[in-house]
Amino acid sequence: MTHLELTHIKKSYGSTVAVEDFSITVEQGEFVSFLGPSGCGKTTTLRMVAGFELPNSGTIKLNSNDLTFIPPNQRNVGMVFQSYALFPNMTVSQNVGYGLKIAKKKKPEINARVEEMLALIHMERFATRFPYQLSGGQQQRVALARALAIQPEILLLDEPLSALDAKIRLELRQEIRRIQQKLGITTIYVTHDQEEALSLSDRIVVMSHGKIEQIGTPFETYNFPKTRFVANFVGSLNTAEVEVVNPKQGTMNMNGILLEASEGLDGKSKGDNVMVAIRPERFSFASEGKKENVLDCQIENITFLGSVVRIQIRIGNAKFNMDTFNRPSLELPKIGDRAQVTCSRKAVLILSD
Amino acid sequence: MNGKRVNFFALFWGVAALLYFFVPLYGTFDFSLRMERGVLGFKAYELVFADPRFWQGFRYSITMAVITIGISVSMFVPTVYWMYLKVPKARPVMDVITILPFIIPSIVLVFGLIRTFSRPPLQLTLRPWTTDILIVAGYIIISMPYMFRAVDVGMRSIDVRTLTEAAQSLGSSWFEVLKDIIIPNLRLAILGGALISFATVMGELILADFLVRPALGPYMVQMGLTKAYEPAALAIISYSLTWFSLGLLQFFSNRSEGQKQYVIEE
Repeated sequence: MTHLELTHIKKSYGSTVAVEDFSITVEQGEFVSFLGPSGCGKTTTLRMVAGFELPNSGTIKLNSNDLTFIPPNQRNVGMVFQSYALFPNMTVSQNVGYGLKIAKKKKPEINARVEEMLALIHMERFATRFPYQLSGGQQQRVALARALAIQPEILLLDEPLSALDAKIRLELRQEIRRIQQKLGITTIYVTHDQEEALSLSDRIVVMSHGKIEQIGTPFETYNFPKTRFVANFVGSLNTAEVEVVNPKQGTMNMNGILLEASEGLDGKSKGDNVMVAIRPERFSFASEGKKENVLDCQIENITFLGSVVRIQIRIGNAKFNMDTFNRPSLELPKIGDRAQVTCSRKAVLILSD
Repeated sequence: MNGKRVNFFALFWGVAALLYFFVPLYGTFDFSLRMERGVLGFKAYELVFADPRFWQGFRYSITMAVITIGISVSMFVPTVYWMYLKVPKARPVMDVITILPFIIPSIVLVFGLIRTFSRPPLQLTLRPWTTDILIVAGYIIISMPYMFRAVDVGMRSIDVRTLTEAAQSLGSSWFEVLKDIIIPNLRLAILGGALISFATVMGELILADFLVRPALGPYMVQMGLTKAYEPAALAIISYSLTWFSLGLLQFFSNRSEGQKQYVIEE
């Protein structure tokens, strides 16, 4: 069932267009991330859903009710901010209960809900603490509980983990997903961190320059990027310009080296130039019997990245990265060695602009 | 080793500043105690406290100070809040406007008030209570630099925009945001502005003198024309009031800082 619907949203500040022709429908209980670099319009879009910004055109509907020009305090939307935004003059329990107090709920009801929320974030012990007595991670947990206490129709999170260190970020990421799934609340999550978006979301909206580049599941977004921007932004990627040889057979010429793709050349003609992309982890050293895209290469550099080893290879004139798991049994070539690498036809992605 | 090294330059200027400030003050205090020949005593203070005109001036000035502070706070807090939220670019303009009372002498202000409000349509100088309206308006202008800056510094210490948005997303109206979030977090700043305004109003002379109102400032001047020791005692009383205000400010700010000394537990 469609819960949130944004239709042809446009927002500009003077001559600068922040968001353009943004349309999406979000299902009840879905976790959708807006992913993109700084200035791509993801936070502006979220703020329009919250009511802090008004679109120049387009509509925002929640449960089929038009919210576009409803003030933020009448939307029943919970929001979590990057800077936590806990009220410094209130204790943890007062912060969590504030929305209910404003809604004029009775004291026993407020107390019960606050206890429930603090149990949800495992912070019952901290009820009487003030925000300045909490760590960043704890403050963000309280901010989450505060936003959820009012039982909002939709939960909005604006880069909630950006200000936290790596370990806490990972913990809280799992916590957010656990709570979201437990409550089944529709959630919009803004981030510039692809790992966060990939690990948390049911769907990802990749944005650039105020426009949607691609909407898809994390699997689709990572494995089948539709545009060059998505391919480059989500995960690391090797790209090369090639010439179409036979569009039906999916063959292409990369500076004299034959490359095959399984799909994506429909509508292309022989001699057309196209951009291909191959993920580093889709390359492997060729074993006997492999027949798809077996390419001669030279090892240029080897870098250990912990669980992964990144090998820089040169195929013809082009440099590519190849990632392989760092197993104890792994026998790595030496820099300067010649080798053969392979990737499946499916791994060769044809990118549109 | 470095921590123990004495900075003689700083020490010299520190001592010089203390002498410059305290020697005249001590001289005034000492003089105020010498009303009776050959005896050090509080006779001058006794006479001041026994004078009904002193208490009249004291009561009047306190009343005017309280009204001034009340109006200033209810005027400046929402204004500065609004400025931070909606027109942050107006801040330099506000900075200039609020510094004007330092540039324009009080005498110019009071003549402006008298010329404007002693003739129709708004003839406010005819009755005492309407003149009091004028004097409070003048006090608000005189204390504006202190009140604005105190509130401004307070607003800068909190993330006004995000806190407002957080409260709004929880259902708060503008009034509730101001009442529940902004003002409680500006308590110390407001108190600071209020106490400095209080001290300013209590010692103010020009407005009350030209508007002929029985404030403490004109009383002190009148005493100075005919008496020798009582004005010195009054000067010390006036200083004490100011120091008391500053002491209160220090006490509350220390207490507020002290509350934040907690260990964060992960």
